[in-house]
Amino acid sequence: MRAAIALAAALCSAPASAGWEPTKPVEIVVAAGAGGASDQMARMMQAAIQKNNLMKQPMVVSLKGGASGAEALMYMKSSEGDANKVLIAYSLIYMLPLSAKIPFNWRELTPVSVIALDQFVLWDNAGGPKSVKEFIAAAKAASSPFKMGGTGSKREDHVLTVFMEQKTGAKFSYLPYKSGGEAATQLVGNHTESNVNNPSENLEVWRAGQVRPLCVFDKERISYTGKVTEAQSWHDIPTCKEEGLDIQYLMLRAMFLPGKVTPEQQAFYVDLFHKVTQTTEYKDYMEKQALKPIFLTGKDMVQFLEEDDTLNKSLMTEAGFVAK
Amino acid sequence: MSQTDIEIVVDDPTAPEDDSPSVVSTRTIEIVVSLLLLALAATLGYDNWRTGISWDSTGPEPGYFPFYLSVILGGGSLYGLVSALLSQHGGSQTFVTRAQLRRVLAVFVPTLLFCLAMQFLGLYVASFLLIAGFMRLVGKIALWKSLLTAFVFTAVMFVTFDIAFDVIMPKGPLEAAFGR
Amino acid sequence: MEAFGLLVQGFGVLLTGKTLVLMMVGLVLGIFVGVLPGLGGPNGVAILLPLTFTMDPTSAIVMLSCIYWGALFGGAITSILFNIPGEAWSVATTFDGYPMAQQGRAAEALTAAFTSSFIGSLVAVLLITFLAPMISSFALKFGPPEFFAVYLLTFCSFVGLGREAKHKTVISMSLGLLLAGIGMDTVSGNLRMTFGSAELLRGINFLVAVIGLFGISEILLTMEERLALRGHAAGISLRVVLSVWKDLPKYWVTLLRSSFIGCWLGITPGGAIAASFMGYNLAKRFSKDPESFGKGRIEGVFAPETAAHASGTAALLPMLALGIPGSGTAAILLGGLMVWGLNPGPLLFVEHKDFVWGLIASMYLGNVVGLVLVLTTVPIFASILRVPFAAVAPMIVVSCAIGAYAIQNAMFDIWLMLGFGVVGYVFKKIGIPLAPFTLALVLGNRAEDAFRLSMIGSGGNLKVFWSNGLVGSIATLAILLLFWPLIDRLLQRVGLARQAKPVSGQA
Repeated sequence: MRAAIALAAALCSAPASAGWEPTKPVEIVVAAGAGGASDQMARMMQAAIQKNNLMKQPMVVSLKGGASGAEALMYMKSSEGDANKVLIAYSLIYMLPLSAKIPFNWRELTPVSVIALDQFVLWDNAGGPKSVKEFIAAAKAASSPFKMGGTGSKREDHVLTVFMEQKTGAKFSYLPYKSGGEAATQLVGNHTESNVNNPSENLEVWRAGQVRPLCVFDKERISYTGKVTEAQSWHDIPTCKEEGLDIQYLMLRAMFLPGKVTPEQQAFYVDLFHKVTQTTEYKDYMEKQALKPIFLTGKDMVQFLEEDDTLNKSLMTEAGFVAK
Repeated sequence: MSQTDIEIVVDDPTAPEDDSPSVVSTRTIEIVVSLLLLALAATLGYDNWRTGISWDSTGPEPGYFPFYLSVILGGGSLYGLVSALLSQHGGSQTFVTRAQLRRVLAVFVPTLLFCLAMQFLGLYVASFLLIAGFMRLVGKIALWKSLLTAFVFTAVMFVTFDIAFDVIMPKGPLEAAFGR
Repeated sequence: MEAFGLLVQGFGVLLTGKTLVLMMVGLVLGIFVGVLPGLGGPNGVAILLPLTFTMDPTSAIVMLSCIYWGALFGGAITSILFNIPGEAWSVATTFDGYPMAQQGRAAEALTAAFTSSFIGSLVAVLLITFLAPMISSFALKFGPPEFFAVYLLTFCSFVGLGREAKHKTVISMSLGLLLAGIGMDTVSGNLRMTFGSAELLRGINFLVAVIGLFGISEILLTMEERLALRGHAAGISLRVVLSVWKDLPKYWVTLLRSSFIGCWLGITPGGAIAASFMGYNLAKRFSKDPESFGKGRIEGVFAPETAAHASGTAALLPMLALGIPGSGTAAILLGGLMVWGLNPGPLLFVEHKDFVWGLIASMYLGNVVGLVLVLTTVPIFASILRVPFAAVAPMIVVSCAIGAYAIQNAMFDIWLMLGFGVVGYVFKKIGIPLAPFTLALVLGNRAEDAFRLSMIGSGGNLKVFWSNGLVGSIATLAILLLFWPLIDRLLQRVGLARQAKPVSGQA
């Protein structure tokens, strides 16, 4: 054990850059359960940092998915001034405080960088309707409402479901599962008629020909043209707007430090994650999971967050998910 | 934990006396526990009632199950309370004797102090104090043995958790002084 | 038999000096983290995961799966010796394992635990080898109603078992279910029973409660009576091992039943925890002498351990084939696979044949090597009991605290642990059983979620639990088990009166 540690330490002799550096193992705090999209991304970064010697200290993934991720938010909030913890955040930072009255505001944390944008795709079972129009028609004609699987209640998946109801007039009953993986298998097993999973969550069952992507909730098609299944690439999925369902939603994947850290500490992580986005591990991951690469930091990031926050707030209010 | 395999043989110095007077009877404790559970059931029941306990079109509301569970818990405790109150003659059973209580406190109080100390001194220092103190004061084991065992155990824990496995434990001023 | 050829090929990949060494290292590390308080399976595997990043995928996965095996074996050790279960499924092992250790039969209990772990996982691996494709399609049949039926079955197999006064069992179970509900309700996304506290937001972690209820309260109870752990370490244990093995055939029904329950619940995604409880309960229910359970009966170790490990192993199947981890540890393993670009899913068996069969082959080897390794170390573990109580007690307290803290890095959990310690002490003394409480705490939330999802899906119609053959038969079985004592009595009376009147099912 010791030998392994010594070896790992020897391997990690990266050139020291000026300024602050972590002196303790750095925790990547994941606001979701094991195996979810955030966890996968955290493990990818852990591997990328370790394989490319981007940091001397090791990185440990700590899963804090309790209370639908609220645990991670409260944990970050209470770790003020501790620069050895980074949160891998997604839209829950806007939504949870609204839906469950969690005393949390992302402005209390220190933004580091936005590292990717995640897509949402409307999926149905491979045995179900073949296009959005047929799907909507079938949903309207069905005697009992179509079941829509998703992750969590009053969150992005649920919001999308409500907007689909509003735009099409079809009725859905939304089933909040614990993870996107569960929503995927439940769709394959025909326990639900559809879901709005992220590409990564349904990737494997799509490749196995068990589910069908109907449309992607974005202004433009996904840019990756490499074949994913035998016949289709991510780029072949039409946008929902093309199919007459005008709904768009993208979800951020961003890194945050706890509040009250020094500018040097913030700068270290901005640099670290910038380096991560240059690695082949990151690039492969982006393509494989059909994520939109992006790198925002500093003022750009704050501006993005403010706009995104306003957007999410209005969506949540319209969907009626804001707790009184 | 093989580091503690240093053979230390001690006999039980003070076996509890059989004739120690009873401090409290089982019946009293049953009554107290039933009352506490009843209070808990009422508090939780009220909170769930506020959350919503009806059965709407999409099945039960979040408070539905917990509310009825608190009713069941309340019922169970009430039954326990009544049967404890009624069992006049069977109620003389001893819950704990004075000698037993002293011994339970001999381990409970140090544990409580340990938890308290942990908030300020960190886990490792508190562990050292607990193990050394307990062995010396309660176990009447020689001072050097107590100190040595405590030190070895704490050190091994520190090396495994903090150095080898990067598990982050609460730390205090001592660790900070060494820059960990 | 295509599977067999592929398996042989898998062994071929593994039988090199390098992989065997990695295997041993993985097993030792796994046992180590399994024994360490508070690390246990999932945390331990998570911590060791980065060690494999610099290896090639085959070596890495061999090492990881051996760590997994080691952690599974190691979990039984603390349950038996100190009454501190490391994983949820070790709880049922403490019921009889710990009393055995107190009676000086620690070596026997450990041998029984390891052996039955071996048997359980062997059955499950065989199952994976030959039935993988069929089983993954079976697992897909499980929607919310089916899940609820399984949880109901677990609860029903429990009711009416204890000798304690009925109202105390009711108190224990309802209290467990209530505490399980604290925190965020996933179905509605609302908070409940948190009273505005940020600490309660997380909910009450099952392991924290169990560490307090079993570990701390046990220290208090032991201290009350005597200043020493009773029992002496067994001498050389080859004799003990052989004598336990000689008795093994006597328990073949229990072993077979538990293996079956384990495999069945293991491939039901998320059912692994239920398995050990159900294995234990059924062994007790169908035993000729149910009174002797909980007092150090070796069958009480065989039953839950076999079931737990059969399910722990079978849980790898839905993970590989569907990408749903059946247990916490499997979930971490899943993360490890993904780092290697091996995305678990239906195609893994097609696209990465060599990897899958290499993994399955490493399960066989890891299991055998692991058994030998743990059995040879039984005397070392059992000798811990020889250390004076005044030295062991504070160490156990420290271990409990480390464990409780490490789970969520929360100081609040230390206080919770202490509180549950006192609760456990008082409950044990006034005869409120702890087993229903722990079962409810583990499964309560899942059962409720499954029930409510079923209701959303069916529009509030309870008939959904009898809507197809699968869910209908599980639900009926659950109800039958619930009323089993009644039915049993009825059957006996009918038999005595020699009346050929048919007994109608009561659903």
